[in-house]
Amino acid sequence: MAQNVLPQPVQKLINELGRLPGIGPKSAARLTFYLLRAGDEQALALAQALTDLKQRTRFCSVCFNITEDDPCVICQDDGRDPTMLCVVEEPLDVVAIERSRAFNGRYHVLHGAISPVEGVGPEDLRIAELVARVDGGQFSEIILATNPTLEGESTSLYLQRRLTHPGLRLTRLARGLPVGGDLEYTDEITLGRAMEGRQAM
Amino acid sequence: MHITHLSLTNFRNYGRLELELPLGPTLLHGNNAQGKTNLLEAIFYLATTRSPQADQDQQLINWEAAQSEEPIVVGRIQAQLETQTGLRHVEMRLILEQSQSVQRGRRSFRREVLVDRRKVRLMDLLGNLRVVLFLPEDIQLITGAPSQRRRYLDMTLCQVDPVYCRHLSEYNKLLEQRNALLRQIADGTGSLEVLPVFTERLAALGSQIFIRRAVFLAAMSREAQRIHYEELTDKNETIRLNYLPRLEDSGTGQGRLLSELVHVGHWLQEQHDTANAVEKRYREAMTAVRQTDLARGSTSVGPHRDDWYIQLNGRNLGSYGSRGQQRTALLALKMAEINWMTKTTGETPILLLDEVVAELDEQRRALLLNYVKGASQALLTATDPAMFTTDFLRQASSYTVANGRVQIDKIV
Repeated sequence: MAQNVLPQPVQKLINELGRLPGIGPKSAARLTFYLLRAGDEQALALAQALTDLKQRTRFCSVCFNITEDDPCVICQDDGRDPTMLCVVEEPLDVVAIERSRAFNGRYHVLHGAISPVEGVGPEDLRIAELVARVDGGQFSEIILATNPTLEGESTSLYLQRRLTHPGLRLTRLARGLPVGGDLEYTDEITLGRAMEGRQAM
Repeated sequence: MHITHLSLTNFRNYGRLELELPLGPTLLHGNNAQGKTNLLEAIFYLATTRSPQADQDQQLINWEAAQSEEPIVVGRIQAQLETQTGLRHVEMRLILEQSQSVQRGRRSFRREVLVDRRKVRLMDLLGNLRVVLFLPEDIQLITGAPSQRRRYLDMTLCQVDPVYCRHLSEYNKLLEQRNALLRQIADGTGSLEVLPVFTERLAALGSQIFIRRAVFLAAMSREAQRIHYEELTDKNETIRLNYLPRLEDSGTGQGRLLSELVHVGHWLQEQHDTANAVEKRYREAMTAVRQTDLARGSTSVGPHRDDWYIQLNGRNLGSYGSRGQQRTALLALKMAEINWMTKTTGETPILLLDEVVAELDEQRRALLLNYVKGASQALLTATDPAMFTTDFLRQASSYTVANGRVQIDKIV
């Protein structure tokens, strides 16, 4: 093993970056040297962003989305339909749905999906909080917008069993063809579901 | 359907091979251990994404290449196909790569699949190329373990029914989830409340698999019976394929419901009532073995424990049949597979025969070669071409395989 000729701070940053998902030792070294050569303000801005990330964000105590203020802007917004609740796996899913402008209700972020293989059970997710929120009573419809993956669907099925409040409407997102897609290249299962979920014109 | 061009890179004993393949039968001859079977294996692998032998896939990469110090080693199988829907290019890459996240010095293995030079999911490869493989080891389908018979079901069905394949893959993932959960419940870290979710989803998917297997085996049974009775035994002996779906934990009496329902035949999968009946029965079975499952930490009923067997004149061929009877039944099974694939897809599969002709008597050899001539493409390996009739040899193309190289002797 060659003697480590890199100064301690350089090696330390390489190590830290190398711990990030999708970044190996080579990328970590390249990023580190980029920052070393870049202007002071860029490195400092990154440092500040990292500090703020942990110090100035928290989970919203109502919907568990990440937020600067608690409750979050969505939970504080009176213009939103208080009877509609959309349940998603991750904060980025909220961003995606917001971008669609198709939903104007409230959210609940689970922070994951049930996956025994990875050791994730309902108690590791914000499910107890969701049930309590629904018990609170003002919702008429819950949209289960978990991912159409094995884990997401299992989570939906589990929530369906837990949320059995009378008069509460449980829905889930439709499965089907992507807009602008090509029928010919669609896989059999998706196409099968699109066929099952066809609508009258 | 047929392959017009096959190209191998770092596959088994082939460093590099570019090979034109003609229509009709092609004889691959040469001494043992020269690479004849490896050619068939490459084509089979491209059709099914699995090796016929339960090897580790990374062993398919050329040994010398895999031993090299290169940070990345790629084994590659490519084929240019001509099918009824047009030309198609399929490619499988086997990649050994120095991995950054895994321990240093260890290499990770992964596979990439391309159809018409576009990267797709592994599963999307299935159904592009369809083959029926004859191996001397096929006798294990009769005498071997249930897992080998399930493997046969899966590899045959997956080539034709992509929905089956997707269901199967999802079923296996769900099964893994449920088993993990069972173990967690046993050691107190898992939630019993979640169990019904996985049970229910397994039942829904599993019953689809049960039904598709039942329909397949019923169709295969009829065809194999006809071939065996009329063509192979001069109307002397009768075989049947019996499905043993694991719908109960006990060994016997299982699957009465399914075998009764199978008589509905081809319409079975359209019958929602049937699907519901199977699902209901399966769900009940899962509930009945819940305690056992919790104690064992694994799921004891379901298609992952299915079996099937061939019956000859009312008896289990595996236990009571002679070696000769087993070989004859096996031949009927494989011929039925060819006919079933042709009927289901509208084109003949590519036939791959590894040294099987040698084991047959003259009459059956002639019969099998009729199937070979009827297919749009067939590859046959043989150490000794003398076992074929001059008539057949005249109609077949001929390649010599020696030490990982292929020489074209004659193209018909």
